[in-house]
Amino acid sequence: MTTEPALPRLGPGPIPARAGIGLRAEHYDAVLRDRPPVGWLEVHSENHFGAGGKPLDYLERVRAHYPLSLHGVGLSIGSTDPLDRRHLAKLKELIRRFEPALVSEHLSWSSVGGRHLNDLLPLPYTEEALDHMIARVAQVQDVLGRPILIENPSSYLQFVESAMPEWAFLVELAERTGCGVLLDVNNIYVSARNHGFDTSAYLRAIPRHLVREIHLAGFTVNRVDDGELLIDTHSRPVWPAVWALYRQAIQRFGRIPTLIEWDTDLPELGALVDEAQRADAILEERHARAA
Amino acid sequence: MRGLRELQLGFAAAVLDGADGDFARHVRGAGSSGARRLRVYRNNAALGLTGALEAVYPVVRRLVGEDFFRYAAARYIARHPSRSGDLHEFGERFPSFLESFSPAAALIYLPDVARLEWAYHEVFHAAGHPSLDVAALARVPAERRETLRFRLRPAARLLESAFPILRIWQVNQDDHAGDAPVDLREGGVKLLIVRRDNLDIEFCALADGEFALLRALADDCDFADACERAMTAQPTFDLPARFGRHVARGTLVAFRQTRE
Repeated sequence: MTTEPALPRLGPGPIPARAGIGLRAEHYDAVLRDRPPVGWLEVHSENHFGAGGKPLDYLERVRAHYPLSLHGVGLSIGSTDPLDRRHLAKLKELIRRFEPALVSEHLSWSSVGGRHLNDLLPLPYTEEALDHMIARVAQVQDVLGRPILIENPSSYLQFVESAMPEWAFLVELAERTGCGVLLDVNNIYVSARNHGFDTSAYLRAIPRHLVREIHLAGFTVNRVDDGELLIDTHSRPVWPAVWALYRQAIQRFGRIPTLIEWDTDLPELGALVDEAQRADAILEERHARAA
Repeated sequence: MRGLRELQLGFAAAVLDGADGDFARHVRGAGSSGARRLRVYRNNAALGLTGALEAVYPVVRRLVGEDFFRYAAARYIARHPSRSGDLHEFGERFPSFLESFSPAAALIYLPDVARLEWAYHEVFHAAGHPSLDVAALARVPAERRETLRFRLRPAARLLESAFPILRIWQVNQDDHAGDAPVDLREGGVKLLIVRRDNLDIEFCALADGEFALLRALADDCDFADACERAMTAQPTFDLPARFGRHVARGTLVAFRQTRE
């Protein structure tokens, strides 16, 4: 005789063309207390998959004040294992309850043979993988009854099998499934440095109408004997070179809702808000120029 | 599909099992660079999964130290890989794994401390539930009460240990003041771990009768049977007072009549 939980008082709906921040448990109290002047919030969907308790209670309370985006990290959409119906059902229930304006997943896979690596693993950019991703994204959108966004990942290796650049793969996926693109500018920078491609070419290859959201975060540099690898750690402020690439992206795509992500070595909430304001200033510049 | 599936299975084997085989042939710019690039994914997976265990088992980690914990976590990950895209589901078998993990054998209380932490984790994420309908319970005629069956709050767990795991847990909290060594001869404990309506999680050390009563009710015994078990466990048990308290405090959230 479980009674239906009361529906949350839902706050504003659409995601404004402003900067938002990724909300993590460590900042729940500070966000409710300070109500920082950020345009919207994004949470990891799986952090709210539990049946009850604080994660849902806090989300309900912050949802009353901010537009919300749900960002999935565990659906393993690119896996060749069957899609996890239970995972998808939990996501669907979360969407029903919190009515997020955006729902996103990754251009990646994270499990195979029933084993989860719980990491965003790279796909080979082949025709076969493209057909597979198209079928899977379509399946997810069908179950959820709404379009999703797909984010470009950071990657540390490229497969010799890849027959097209990541951007071509992503664009084709979006055009053929109707999903939007969540463009992670930091990930473009990280992957470009790790694999030696041109970041501007990446931006130019993405049609303007596909980009619905942008992510920004900080990477770390992993130095090894014969070179360096950039690792997408979300553990520090956005690097100057990534701000420059972001400015370029905003010039091309216009005022796109932009998220500051920070997941490890979390600073005080204020540091994220500062980063968001920096992104807001760049969005405003674009607005001034467009006017 | 064959190419993609094989590539993913090979990647997982290389990352999770360290079975690189000839996987490097799939990596552009192979050789030492390929191995290094694969190592990033190996580190990421290990960090992520170990981090998930650390989040659920901070006291176990503190008891064994960081290096030992990482070693145990690596063995656990290899033996019981993550089966869900939701990391909160990872680590359920860590207590029983520790029981058979010989390097930790000297810490005989460790598996039960881990059980306590997993129970806390479950209670933290469990469903809420409205309170028991006390008025409806009061309307049940006295002669029918014995056949009632009660339901424990979904956010409640009962745990019994031969070791003083509650004290061990308490003195290993960050905010614990003072240096209070725990003497294992203090003996065991019977615990109720419960999340109250305000979302605070409480640990209640229960007397034998109280624990037997709740255990029996949780196991779906009828009220008469549960009372008998409680009184057998502790003949001096003040059953009406304790039962009333668990109704009032919401440990019990529902009841139903059982047909004769």
